[in-house]
Amino acid sequence: MTFSDAASRDYPPFSTDACIKCNVCNTVCPVARVSDLFPGPKYEGPQAQRFRGDGSQSPDASVDWCSGCGLCTRACPTGVLIAETNNRARASMVATEGSSLRNRLISDTDLLIRLGVPFAPLANFALRNRLARWVGEKVLGVHRRGPLHNFARRTFSSSWRRRARPAVEPGPERAVVYFHGCAVDGFEPDLGRDAVEILARNGLEAIVPRQECCGLPFISNGLYEHARRKARANLSVLADYARRGYRIVGTSTSCTHALKAEYREMFDLDDADARAVADATWDICELLVDLHDRGQLDTRFGPMPTDLPYHPPCQLKSHGIGTPAMELFGLVPGLRAVDSDHDCCGAAGTYGLKVERWQIAQDVGRGLFDKIRASGAELAACDSETCRWQIEASTGVPTRHPITILAASYRAYVDESARPAT
Amino acid sequence: MPTHDAVVIGCGLAGLSAGIGLAEGGARVFVVGKGMAATHWTHGGLDVGDVAKLAERPGHPYALLADAVVPAVEAHLARLDAAGLPYRGSPGDALNAMPTAVGGLRPAAIVPDAQSAALDPWDDGERLLILGIGRFKDFWAEMAARNLRTHPWPHGPAEVRAAVVDLPWVDRRHNLTPMDLARMFDDPVWRARALERMRASLPAGRWRVGLPAVLGLDRHAEVLAATREMLGVPVFEIPSLPPSVPGARLWEALRGRLLAVGGGLQWGFPVVNVERAGERIVAVHTEAASRTLRSVAAEFVLATGGLASGGLRAHADGIVEERVFGLPVESPPQREWLADDPLVEQPLESAGIRVDANLRPTGLRNVTVVGSMLAGMRYLAERCGDGVAVASAHRAVQVISDRSAVAA
Repeated sequence: MTFSDAASRDYPPFSTDACIKCNVCNTVCPVARVSDLFPGPKYEGPQAQRFRGDGSQSPDASVDWCSGCGLCTRACPTGVLIAETNNRARASMVATEGSSLRNRLISDTDLLIRLGVPFAPLANFALRNRLARWVGEKVLGVHRRGPLHNFARRTFSSSWRRRARPAVEPGPERAVVYFHGCAVDGFEPDLGRDAVEILARNGLEAIVPRQECCGLPFISNGLYEHARRKARANLSVLADYARRGYRIVGTSTSCTHALKAEYREMFDLDDADARAVADATWDICELLVDLHDRGQLDTRFGPMPTDLPYHPPCQLKSHGIGTPAMELFGLVPGLRAVDSDHDCCGAAGTYGLKVERWQIAQDVGRGLFDKIRASGAELAACDSETCRWQIEASTGVPTRHPITILAASYRAYVDESARPAT
Repeated sequence: MPTHDAVVIGCGLAGLSAGIGLAEGGARVFVVGKGMAATHWTHGGLDVGDVAKLAERPGHPYALLADAVVPAVEAHLARLDAAGLPYRGSPGDALNAMPTAVGGLRPAAIVPDAQSAALDPWDDGERLLILGIGRFKDFWAEMAARNLRTHPWPHGPAEVRAAVVDLPWVDRRHNLTPMDLARMFDDPVWRARALERMRASLPAGRWRVGLPAVLGLDRHAEVLAATREMLGVPVFEIPSLPPSVPGARLWEALRGRLLAVGGGLQWGFPVVNVERAGERIVAVHTEAASRTLRSVAAEFVLATGGLASGGLRAHADGIVEERVFGLPVESPPQREWLADDPLVEQPLESAGIRVDANLRPTGLRNVTVVGSMLAGMRYLAERCGDGVAVASAHRAVQVISDRSAVAA
């Protein structure tokens, strides 16, 4: 997000005036790289934007093939907010032409969790059942091989509410707000428990207020009204914590990016609440590296002598915080983490689930999948949930959040000095 | 964020070269780039200009760097060779005429292997075929050939002719960019069919073939070898409109080298804030989704480029601003910025930062300035930009390494 260069983050389409038509964005677009259906970010953004007036729709429906990875914005030498402009163009198209039932359903993760978790055994049977998936593809348009994770038996938030909690909420120097996101809540609650454990090990209690989906799936599908409702609900809870000095920590680089940037860029919510929350939000690995820099990180990691291909997701790259997970992996004895050096896994949230886009998503990620398979590693790591599920489904290699790996390493630590002499 | 030995600001030819040189010497280097580098706007060759002549001009960067040019270019070409992107030529070589996509001629000496056949002497009777690709709108073979025929070309080909070949699948595409074609050539199956058609389109006789620069991206070396073998005549690439495929290959090769020697790279975020203590820079802050990323280092290399790359910005009030550290910029007075003719050398091109023999700017003791941001050069008119970039990067690496050796 190079806001300082071009017009402003208030209204990204204005930044398209800074385009010098050099085509660099088209060279980095992972979708245009594999599919001719998307002519590339320059044509959709700075070119088409000239034909878009206030309230009028996109002149070219092909903008909907954008996966929203954001690489174009980062590549632009003159600071045009290309991905943000294209996302708005899609939203205006959706606003005038409507959205499919499929897109509204797969974007509404809160609803999916409410429906799926209580009937997890049945729902998971359906997710693994070829006939059910075939029906899902024909009726809904969700690709039968689209990477979907099993529902948890119980949501993270409901387990959390049953926990014994201290009578007094600890202050912001000893606690952080944990924004677990939908993935932890409904699909990967163990990751949430690992995060809480790691925070506790470093002297930070987790506070888990009521929260809704960050709204990113709605944003990616152009459903801004739905996303705005989610954003307002979250901001109304989180802004108060932010003002009291609490850091808001997430294990999903997608959710945390929504809190940091998308709320403000995409739907004109750049108010004091949104700014307070953005400034208080941390990716969990970013926070741990910050602790390490201050000499406050518990570095008693146990050995994990293994190869670990690591894929930094597009959303993480848009944070502008480097690759903190790689720095943390460097603290684990024996761990041989290797940056995938691949642009995008293709999943892009809900993109890789859609029947008409599944193949594009596979083609985008192919180089990554090949690398991971060729590495022979038994485990891979990635910070974003849908990317993890995509990589795991496409390679067969279990793929975990860096926090899961770090938590295992903490548990593997043996205090040699405390061992009784023999 | 952790302390780096050096932070390089800018990821173009100068910045990546400096980052690689420092990392090869064992330094912990972090390269931060605002966006993609100007490499994607260039022909991918390495223009050093007339080093001896320019070095005599007071105030020209070569006056400081002349003795660094040869070792810098040699090291640079050796790295590219190791990365599978061999170049031909060396700084002392005579300049020869290289056809351009619009049918002009530019002087060149050091070029990627794929362009090198254009520089070989033309035998008596040897002819040039400009081979375009049907539906590829960035390269018009007829226009190039027509212009080359009217252009004076001493010791050039006996005849210039154009042909256009239709390649498989191309008519089914909505779009055809140079990157698209390059990626299509990377695919061995499509490539075999395409090269078959290209061979069939060659006229009888002794021809040398100039093609748009689309012969592969990730598998360029393989594509080039297959093309040479299949066509059986000398073949050379002609860079077309941006994005430049040879420039993209160059950037990828340098980026890969930087990562391979342990350097870090983040692009997509400009430096928006600087921490300073007296005459030293303590840290730079790059823009981020919310809080800035703070990068602390002992040394900083400024490689943000000139006016085109955005390292310098000319304001309507006549001020030329250096956008990271706010260094004083040497520039002609505003009334002399631009020439009346837009197609000739523009005096504002020479704007830049004045440095001492160690490439230190006034008032900052742990910053070196490299590349086209240096004052006193006209990188387009003098064709010295690439030479200055690699030579200044080479010098900056020496200066920083010597300093840290003393400190150690």
